[in-house]
Amino acid sequence: MSTSSYLKVCGGSAAVWALGLLFVPPFSQAVETLLLVFLSTNAQ
Amino acid sequence: MKLFLQIVGLGALLLCVTLVTLSIKHRGADGPSLLFPGGKLVSGELHAGADPDWSFTDQVGTIELETSDPVSSRRIFVMESDGKIYVGSAYMRSMLGRLWKDWAFDVEEASAHNAVARIEGVRYERRLVRVTDPKVVVGVARKSAMKYAGGETPEAVAQVMKQVADGDSWLFELAPRSK
Repeated sequence: MSTSSYLKVCGGSAAVWALGLLFVPPFSQAVETLLLVFLSTNAQ
Repeated sequence: MKLFLQIVGLGALLLCVTLVTLSIKHRGADGPSLLFPGGKLVSGELHAGADPDWSFTDQVGTIELETSDPVSSRRIFVMESDGKIYVGSAYMRSMLGRLWKDWAFDVEEASAHNAVARIEGVRYERRLVRVTDPKVVVGVARKSAMKYAGGETPEAVAQVMKQVADGDSWLFELAPRSK
């Protein structure tokens, strides 16, 4: 993938991801659950 | 190789976006989310009068705890023992724990230890008092093992006792403010 295409994908993905976290509660809860599992497993 | 690095980079970007977005989203909120701290606990009746029989918290998985310096709130396990209630903070000696559980360090360093606990929608004004006395810790360890570790086995209780003794877990009593 070319650098310009990659940067567009990054920008678009980040925007969609952030909007999902802000406005789709089940999505943000699922992401938080994954983070919590990661922390609980790796924070020993 | 380039594609692999691009995927790793995108993953790192989305992780950063997640941390920043959810931190901002919950910062001033009336209570925490599952993982991210919230702001001051505003809603809910403010309890007045004598302390209730805290044994009802045996049926409560987590409570919301607001600390005052700085003002923030988080979701946390609660254990009742001998008529008093306690909260804990684990992973205190790991790097991730220091980032994740910064509130406990703030409480330990602060001169004011006031806190507000919101339990089933009712707010209780309390004061956080760190507990290290093994005679007290053992009762809390039993309740912690029973509620959160699958059962009050001697091994589970001993593990909690060791974590507290080693400083990996800190326990705080939610004491009355007038105490």
